[in-house]
Amino acid sequence: MAESSERDSPKTGSLLAESLVTDEMRSIVGAVMRESLSHPVAIADIRKWAIAVYYPETPPRQFWDEAYANTTQFGCMVAPEEFNPFAWSTARPLLTDPKVSQTAFSENELGVKPPEYKAILLTEIREQYGRVRIRAGDAIRSVVRISEYFERDGRMGRMLYTTLSNEWHNQSDEWIRTTESVFVRY
Amino acid sequence: MTRIDKLTVGEQLPVFERKGTIEHWNRFAAVNDEFAAHHWDYAVSEEEGFPAPFAMAPLQLAFFHALLRDWMGDDGRIVSVSAKLRGPFFKDQLLTASGKITAVVRVEDEIVVDLELAQVDETDRSIAIGVARVALNSLVEVDG
Repeated sequence: MAESSERDSPKTGSLLAESLVTDEMRSIVGAVMRESLSHPVAIADIRKWAIAVYYPETPPRQFWDEAYANTTQFGCMVAPEEFNPFAWSTARPLLTDPKVSQTAFSENELGVKPPEYKAILLTEIREQYGRVRIRAGDAIRSVVRISEYFERDGRMGRMLYTTLSNEWHNQSDEWIRTTESVFVRY
Repeated sequence: MTRIDKLTVGEQLPVFERKGTIEHWNRFAAVNDEFAAHHWDYAVSEEEGFPAPFAMAPLQLAFFHALLRDWMGDDGRIVSVSAKLRGPFFKDQLLTASGKITAVVRVEDEIVVDLELAQVDETDRSIAIGVARVALNSLVEVDG
């Protein structure tokens, strides 16, 4: 993960000659890299997520007690905002399709050769949420694009930062969430 | 409990703390299908330049959400959360997440609150900083 001093010093000028960003990579900025459709969310998925996040404490009652959740502002159990309905298996792509991670990425998904690197880390996440929450039975559609590349030099050498934008909508096309994730590769 | 119309800039939220344990991270790995070896394997984390395994970034972000939810209760909603990960949350360290109110504005029937967020380990090393916006039903109370 980058130190703050690295974050504040984007490289310009002569160092651009050493850029890890190829023309091919630049050409895919803004293109849809990945579309996924979740399986319908199960109440058990919501419970397990909340239990995992809050371990070893008990999570808020609204995420495990259905009768209580029915009395909340939502009238039913909803998922924690940060819940990921795409883990393990999705309706699209199928389990038999080439696996794509929800917590990493590669330009290979758009047929472009990625740069060589030893490590990939998530350094920044920006989440925005709509008023509509994920409920049991919802099928969530995710559309991922590379929105930006930038580079900095740090203690591990040249570091390539890539921002992914991920928009989620439910089966009624209601906006759920937009996530911008900044990954660093070095 | 604090009356929502008494919220003030500078007010601190009750902190959220968790120890960095494999027992916890295994559970999160299981629900998020996130099995990068640097989260449990010393050799891999050292190869990547770190002295010990470290937590998943989405789990750290979830801790900020938990901090906000614990404070707001069931009637608030999270509008946005952003986090810059300043350094890894290493295994066996204690993470403390905190929040401070930076703005309070009434918007129609909601109180919109902006917050600064931070995570530190037990040596007070910064792990993450961030900002958040939440919206509270103007008729409820918050924990504090």
